[in-house]
Amino acid sequence: MLLLEYEAKRIFSEQGITIPRSELIQSLEELRELSGKFPFPGVLKAQVPVVGRKKAGGVTITHDQNDVETGVRSLLGMRIRGCIVRKILLEEYLNIKKEAYLSVSIDASEGTPLILASSVGGVDIEEVARIHPEKVVARTVDIASGLSEDMAAELARRIELEGIPIEKIVDVVKRLYEIFVKYDALLVEVNPLVMTTNRRLCAVGAAMTIDDDALYRHLDIASRDEVRIEDEIERDARKEDIAYVRLDGDVGIVASGAGLALATLDLVKDYGGDPANFLDTGGQITQQRIRACMEIVLRNKRVRGLVVNMYGGINPMVEAARGVASFVREKQLRMPVVVKVRGNQEEEAWRILEEAEVTVVKSMRTEVAVQTLMELMGEASSI
Amino acid sequence: MTILADENSRVVVQGITGNIGSVQTKLMLGYGTRIVAGVTPGKGGQSIYDIPVYDTVEEALLEHEAEASILFVPAGRVLNAAEEAIDAGIRILVIVTEHVPVHDTLKVKALAQKQGVTVLGPNTPGIISPGKTKIGIMPGNLYRSGNVGIVSRSATLAYEIAGNLTEAGMGQSTCAGIGGDPVTGVTFVDLLKMFEKDGETSIVVLIGEVGRTVEEEAADYIGKKFSKPVVAYVVGRTAPPEKKMGHAGAIIERGRGIAESKIEAFRCAGASVISRPSEVVSRVEEALKERL
Repeated sequence: MLLLEYEAKRIFSEQGITIPRSELIQSLEELRELSGKFPFPGVLKAQVPVVGRKKAGGVTITHDQNDVETGVRSLLGMRIRGCIVRKILLEEYLNIKKEAYLSVSIDASEGTPLILASSVGGVDIEEVARIHPEKVVARTVDIASGLSEDMAAELARRIELEGIPIEKIVDVVKRLYEIFVKYDALLVEVNPLVMTTNRRLCAVGAAMTIDDDALYRHLDIASRDEVRIEDEIERDARKEDIAYVRLDGDVGIVASGAGLALATLDLVKDYGGDPANFLDTGGQITQQRIRACMEIVLRNKRVRGLVVNMYGGINPMVEAARGVASFVREKQLRMPVVVKVRGNQEEEAWRILEEAEVTVVKSMRTEVAVQTLMELMGEASSI
Repeated sequence: MTILADENSRVVVQGITGNIGSVQTKLMLGYGTRIVAGVTPGKGGQSIYDIPVYDTVEEALLEHEAEASILFVPAGRVLNAAEEAIDAGIRILVIVTEHVPVHDTLKVKALAQKQGVTVLGPNTPGIISPGKTKIGIMPGNLYRSGNVGIVSRSATLAYEIAGNLTEAGMGQSTCAGIGGDPVTGVTFVDLLKMFEKDGETSIVVLIGEVGRTVEEEAADYIGKKFSKPVVAYVVGRTAPPEKKMGHAGAIIERGRGIAESKIEAFRCAGASVISRPSEVVSRVEEALKERL
């Protein structure tokens, strides 16, 4: 879960990292209440969970009350990469002397925390690493022993903010690592970490992603999760813990496993179709759950056909088949539905599905299920 | 031979009395797996399918010898259960549980590396050496013994590939899943190194997907050091890269991890790349013929 900038900054501030003075604005009324209390110039920043907000016009500098009202009026309700702006952060404008970069993320190949630091900040760190690799320092941390004093000091030196006492920078490095650990973060990033002309050290840009699978340990944050998903179907899927992503096509997909779902997606494309979604049932299939999965897929009104692709390993196929059969019967689905089931309990599952007059594919090949569905969809549309 | 496990492997099941643990224990016993003990805290002294249950792995290992443990404990308990197994002396750990917090996996992985323990998963179907043993959740009826090794991130897609080979009469030596999570214990390279030394394995089928860089690392190893033929299947070619699909997309890959780069890496390494499950049969056949 990608936090909004103000949420990340609130956490940074609580943990002792200096952030710019700011106010959160959700309406013009709230802005007017601030009148006279907030110094100009100020920076308006749209709060949306996407990257590249600045380029899309989500950040503006304001010089007086008129300016700021115009800015807030145009930002509120604006769509930035599909996300509607509902909150705006008004921040003090800082005179910046120098910008640097600091982040803690995960090195997935090593399986360790990874700290990146650079004396160049405010820009894409990938670009810096490409053009000036010598200016980016990367260090993996042993999660068992934690960040050492030596490593924190080395990273602080490489950030190169002369004019700020080194202990202050070391302190930011340590605190950022603590936040990473405390919040089960996949990423905590300060970009830019700035030194102002009057030698203040301040986290001007902040980003933070928390591991979805650890949100149960951070319930204060988890409760805010669903509301930021713009797509209504994706939001409801999220509430039911169904891994669903909406796509542009008309072929609905339900698969028991992410890899199998991706394979199904590729094959639908290869056979000339267009997937309507990605859906992974996960390993806890019950009659109710498989029905919920089908329901989610069919909420998308573009869907004209559905392929259900399942293996009985950890998932009970008799339960799955009963769920599919009852769903198809009750909803009196007119669109073609093709179900492929293999593995444990396959024969009993086939019998249940056939009795319910569902098209069953007994082949071990996903392409056969996909082809069968495409043919049925072709026939359906030619009628 | 075979890798990781064979008919002599002795297994502990952690979470044996839970819904999934008990069903899967029955299936493994039916396959012939030598399960010597089960562990569920608070249920020590009970038994299930004549398997004695203990409160801790340590207690189980006082009474029985075992090399491997398979975990069916809830996500929030995986870290403790894995630490307990490693401390008690288990050498191979199979973590089936999905949705384990990534930081917990980092801790398990760090401890396992220090102790020289092999961890598969989290979110893995486990290990099967067909005809010998199954320390996992895969449907045994889709497998038969033979000389094809399979490594994968996905569980169910691996069943499909194995099932296609089995239907065509091509059996498998060992099939193992590294796990579908963004960070896992062993990676493809670790398993390929084992297959390189395994006399029963003549060819390896590798099943990858978008996200992570374990495929690129595997391709690098295959090109430089792996002497056996490889057939590679990478799924997610058509998935829009800006959308996160499945667990593995959660971690920023800094520009890497797209399907094209993986497919290209395997081609450069001399692997045979397939784009449909059915193709695995003819490609394995061809690769084995070429080798003779």
